[in-house]
Amino acid sequence: MLDAYVTALGMVLDPYVLAVITASAIYGLVVGCIPGLSATMATALLVPLTFFMPPVPAIAAIVTTSTMAIFSGDIPGCLLRIPGTPASAAYVDDSYQMTLRGEPELALGIGLWFSVLGGLFGTAVMMAASPAIADFALGFGSVEFFWIVMLGLGGAVFIGSSTPLKACIALLIGLMISLVGMNNPAGQPRFTFDSTEMLGGVSLIPMMVGMFACSEVMRHMISDGSAPQIVIKKMGPIFANMWRLTKQYPWQLIRGSALGTVVGIQPGSGADMAAWMSYAMSKRFSKTPEKFGTGHPEGLIEAGASNNSSLAGAWIPALVFGIPGDSITAIAIGVLMMKNMAPGPTIFVNNPENVYALFLVFVIANLLMLPLGWAIIKVASRVLQVPRRILMPIILLFAIVGSYAINNSLFDVGLMLAFGALAFVLEENGFPVAPVILGVVLGPLLEEYFINSMIKSDGSLIGLVNRPIAAVLAAVTVGIIAWTIIASLRAPKDPARPMPQDL
Amino acid sequence: MKFNDLFAGLVFLGLAALVATASWHLPNPSQQPLGPSAFPLILSGLLALCAAILGLNGARAFDRGPMLALADWARSPVALLKLTLVPAAVLFYLWFSEALGFLITAPLILVVLFMAGGVRPGLALPLSLLAAIAMHSIFYLGLGVQLPWGPLEPIRW
Repeated sequence: MLDAYVTALGMVLDPYVLAVITASAIYGLVVGCIPGLSATMATALLVPLTFFMPPVPAIAAIVTTSTMAIFSGDIPGCLLRIPGTPASAAYVDDSYQMTLRGEPELALGIGLWFSVLGGLFGTAVMMAASPAIADFALGFGSVEFFWIVMLGLGGAVFIGSSTPLKACIALLIGLMISLVGMNNPAGQPRFTFDSTEMLGGVSLIPMMVGMFACSEVMRHMISDGSAPQIVIKKMGPIFANMWRLTKQYPWQLIRGSALGTVVGIQPGSGADMAAWMSYAMSKRFSKTPEKFGTGHPEGLIEAGASNNSSLAGAWIPALVFGIPGDSITAIAIGVLMMKNMAPGPTIFVNNPENVYALFLVFVIANLLMLPLGWAIIKVASRVLQVPRRILMPIILLFAIVGSYAINNSLFDVGLMLAFGALAFVLEENGFPVAPVILGVVLGPLLEEYFINSMIKSDGSLIGLVNRPIAAVLAAVTVGIIAWTIIASLRAPKDPARPMPQDL
Repeated sequence: MKFNDLFAGLVFLGLAALVATASWHLPNPSQQPLGPSAFPLILSGLLALCAAILGLNGARAFDRGPMLALADWARSPVALLKLTLVPAAVLFYLWFSEALGFLITAPLILVVLFMAGGVRPGLALPLSLLAAIAMHSIFYLGLGVQLPWGPLEPIRW
């Protein structure tokens, strides 16, 4: 294992990879900082470029961008009360109150410092746990994997969404999109409409770019798009009080990081849910819950650590089982598959150095966040004023060219537009978009595991539950689904809880 | 633009029916117990079930809300026009990029979108040229993507 780490370190310290990490870090920080541009969009736009990179820098670009964007989403939340990414929404009141009090540097310092600590905590858990889980999972057959995929999809739809029925429909649409092409156990062309372009299935990159970037541009077009007003002029020293706060609130830091990691591991719930849950937990156990929402650092510390640690946590099921925890890891899994590094327990046996390189990228990205995050905070008031009416057309053009670039095909540009329009209409009608992506990424695997399991058992459904681990996984999956259905029948008038729509 | 859920339910019910009929007769050359039609049929069954529940919920809320709730933007002709510009821009690229080449198509698209967003023409023109050239450099020079040149073929670099 140490040998593999040494090899991995060599791969990551390659000047090209370091340059990619630095560039993606700056890109992620800037995009995350601009309200209306989400971390998911930042990642999706990057995918066409990663197509042209070797595996390690490609995945480094994705990891770094998403880590940075989740942190810098705190900046507009703090300065303008507009969270840059949904993951920052939970504690926006506290941080904005600090800004109004004339202490924006305290709020942003907490966001930065505790994001780094939370991120490193999640990374440490990921480094320790995933090889062990992978080792255990090596003995899994198609039945166990079928239930793991089901659990992942079930979690995404029934836990991670406030509208399970609509999320379920969105997921089924995604699964149906994945049917297109010859990529099925029988190798039969399905739903290709006699088009050769469709034989290989719907290309993932134009689809992701369309759903997360093109639709965002459409939403911008119907908003008023006026530039936000900034209240602050200058920032004080950013790291001044951080050591004192760390000593004052150690439990909040650990609890936030731990809960965030666990929420991240649980498929279907990402950074935003981690932040909401940690903020609520912090308030619940606080000695001064009445101070929450008035510019109190406690909840900020716990939730800020939580959303970044969940990012690393989400990578555990993604790497070990190929199950994405949120849309960003779904995009990342798409990139890994494109690079012939399909995730799963065998990746730890066949490509350990690539996996360890990914771990190291996480560590580097989190450490790099300290200086670069400090720099972005210093120039934040200028970045926030970059007019979106200039950015959005450029993003649209980038989406067009990026989709075209993969196969030099205009067909893919049309595909990008179609999925952009689909995502726009779905979201306008309250259907979450993330389950569609999960369905498309996991559809071929789900079908393969299902059909293989059924062939092994000669078509008998008992074959799906007659192995102990499979039975437990099946029970948990069915339990989650049943629980949600019963809960929705009991309390149909449940007031909408704040839930991640953009997981 | 929010449709009543009854409408959405009917649309998805239709989709489920389409997928089911299209996959019913898929050939099963290897004679497996579950052929290539099995998975699509299960999916369409589940979608039909969800769509029916959604439609019924929508029908129950029928007297409480309108069939089609228009958001503020959908009542504003300007917003609608700006929204249509996005698909129009992509379609324009689809149809004209081969003939006009990237370095003409892209600035045209950008300048229209910039000005629709209220950017001054004096800024929009140079900005769209600059952005198009920057994007061209990234993809053509940096990544080797063969972007079309169109009438600019003689000055290809």
